[in-house]
Amino acid sequence: MKRLLIVLLIIGVVSVGFAADGTEQGFVLEEPVAVTSAGQSPGALQFTVVAKMVKLEYTFEKLLSVETVDISQFKTLVLVVGASGKGLGAANIDIEAEILRVKSLAEAAEKSGVKVVICNLEGESRRGPSSDRIVTELAPFADAYFVKSDADQDGFFTTFSEKAGVPLATFEKTVDLKDVLAEYFGK
Amino acid sequence: MKKVVLFVTLVVFAFTASFATVTAPTVASSNGMVAAVNNYAAEVGAKILEMGGNAVDAAIAVSFALGVVEPYASGLGGEGYAVITMADGRKFAIDFRSTAPMAASYEALSELGLTLSKANYTPRGACVPGVPAGIKEAWLLGATMPLKDLIQPAIDLARDGFIVDETFAQTTSDKYELVLENGFDFLNEGFVWEAGSVFTNPQLAETLERIKEEGIDTFYTGSLADEIEEFMIENDGFIRKSDLEMYRAIVREPLHGTYRGYDLYVPHPPVSGPQFIAVLNTLENYNLPAMSWDDPLAVHIIQQALVLGDVDRRAYISDPEFYDLPYEAFMSKEYAKTRFMAINLSQAFDPASYYDYQGNAYPFADGSSYEEVLLEALESVAANESGVEESPSTTHFSIVDKDGNAVAWTQTISSFFGTSVYFKGFFFNNEMYNFASSYREGDVINLTGGMRPRTTICPTIIQKDGKVRWVIGTPGGGRIISTMVQLAVDLIDFNMPVDQAIRTPKFVGYTTYKDLRIEEGYPQTTLDFLEKVLGHQLNVYSYPDLFFGGPNLVSVEENGLMIGAGSIRRLGSASAPEF
Repeated sequence: MKRLLIVLLIIGVVSVGFAADGTEQGFVLEEPVAVTSAGQSPGALQFTVVAKMVKLEYTFEKLLSVETVDISQFKTLVLVVGASGKGLGAANIDIEAEILRVKSLAEAAEKSGVKVVICNLEGESRRGPSSDRIVTELAPFADAYFVKSDADQDGFFTTFSEKAGVPLATFEKTVDLKDVLAEYFGK
Repeated sequence: MKKVVLFVTLVVFAFTASFATVTAPTVASSNGMVAAVNNYAAEVGAKILEMGGNAVDAAIAVSFALGVVEPYASGLGGEGYAVITMADGRKFAIDFRSTAPMAASYEALSELGLTLSKANYTPRGACVPGVPAGIKEAWLLGATMPLKDLIQPAIDLARDGFIVDETFAQTTSDKYELVLENGFDFLNEGFVWEAGSVFTNPQLAETLERIKEEGIDTFYTGSLADEIEEFMIENDGFIRKSDLEMYRAIVREPLHGTYRGYDLYVPHPPVSGPQFIAVLNTLENYNLPAMSWDDPLAVHIIQQALVLGDVDRRAYISDPEFYDLPYEAFMSKEYAKTRFMAINLSQAFDPASYYDYQGNAYPFADGSSYEEVLLEALESVAANESGVEESPSTTHFSIVDKDGNAVAWTQTISSFFGTSVYFKGFFFNNEMYNFASSYREGDVINLTGGMRPRTTICPTIIQKDGKVRWVIGTPGGGRIISTMVQLAVDLIDFNMPVDQAIRTPKFVGYTTYKDLRIEEGYPQTTLDFLEKVLGHQLNVYSYPDLFFGGPNLVSVEENGLMIGAGSIRRLGSASAPEF
């Protein structure tokens, strides 16, 4: 009986892991992809380096907004989260305006049936209060999370993923994101 | 068998002993001391001291090593200034500031549809590098070890790698977009270097190896110079081999000033030695030792003196080979009396009128007293304001050896990553941006081929009764002199130990900033007093902030004990031999 319980427990844990783990459920993302920063750290630009590696069809704008783009022309919106005081300063935008910009984009994407991916590419270094706030504000729109594993040591992203029942894909090194992209975009 | 074991043991012991150094944020030792912005570089210097090298040997090794471990802040493509005092009484000031290439001019830029600003992050933004020539001069003047031995630690670091620290990771992250565009090979397969990863630079190892084998002259007249010219032609830069061949580091006696009985040895123009002395001369008229570091009146007096010093700097500091300016009068005690008179103890200057406070140092050039000059009335000279926001880049290290030889050395590629143009493992400086942004009649920093641009670096050695007391210096762009003056006041007037002087929150007096930028840590009453009573507009920064510089200091106590302290704002370290 004890053994059975242990086996059932293990199966349960594995199932939860799969439930929050991407393409096991047949979840796929499509191109073209709109990429923008959510917080103006260099993460979004690093995302484009990986995107090039897997030959993803994407458009990147640091300050992409509903005023400048018709989001419905894309199939996927990737919001690369990372609040940077210097980046926000250089972009001449404050954190409130930045959150408003990316939330509006996510809302528009949801209305148009565009999948929204929240990505943390810079790991633990982008887990400050401002970055976490951005994630929290965007979470209701997320269809998937791509997260550098050291950013989720406390289960911050896992919690959002499990609550919403959307996949979470983690990767150890920045360059490993290419495997995630290849898998989700079928590259 | 016993003999073999004994031999092996001895070899192991000797090897271990030959590399026995102590490295930490603050270190005390009587065997010599190196304080630098990076622990690897500081340790390289301490190992050279341990091997029997003197302070100049150690400085050369640290200079090379910093180009490896902080390639974004200094290196072969950069420039700098060193002040050296030898135990036998000789004193040297080595000016290895970069020079504008002869083809560079406003007209040339204009014909290409460019401005200095637009050229800043391109090969055209680079001046002729001076670091290799500065190293050569230092070696000729005071070194005791073969240059090959002094370059080898840097080669090893570049080839074998080192662990990336938070400063390295953050700096790369901050400038990622720029480096991705211009210096892809520097990045970690196209990505930011993360703290904890291992950085190697085989390209730089190879370049340094060539310098080791062919000699430093290869950079200016040899095969490396040919390759630099080829690169610049291919990438539309101004530098040519003829510029490299013409380049000379200049050796002078350091300028000398005093502050409350201490002797200060500082650089000549076009860097800010005279400004540093001028501000201290002004402060000498106040009884600062009766105050404390967080007294609002002390902050006010120092900040206002700094503003006056900066207004004057813009008129009196430039390349002395090109402009005959009264910088010695600017740093005279008599002229300082007039600056003392200009400070209002109960009201801050109106930032909109900073340039109304331009002093006239010319009448003091003949040694006249302030009474004589003021009775004949003041005449003002035109000032030019530069709105350039300087980055907290650059790097400074301080060294004292067991014999009392001392080196204060500051080197830079101007902004972090300089032009961001990456060549054979190093970045070219963007010093061109330190000339006036466009031609201005009467300005003393108009872009001229062969001229050295003006900057604020100020490596300094402070002596008491002929013996080294402190070696100080800091990076920090336009904040350098503010931090330097506060260090001097903290050490001399407030009797702080070096680590406390580094830790104490800093503020800035600089004409580009119309507010008083101040680090967190001052009592609220001080901040309220500065704002509400004295009329300063405060801009409080979090603590610690690299914006206020990254000083690395060495003190020599009366008993000969040396205390080294690395910057807390940039993860600096001190290192000493253990023998």
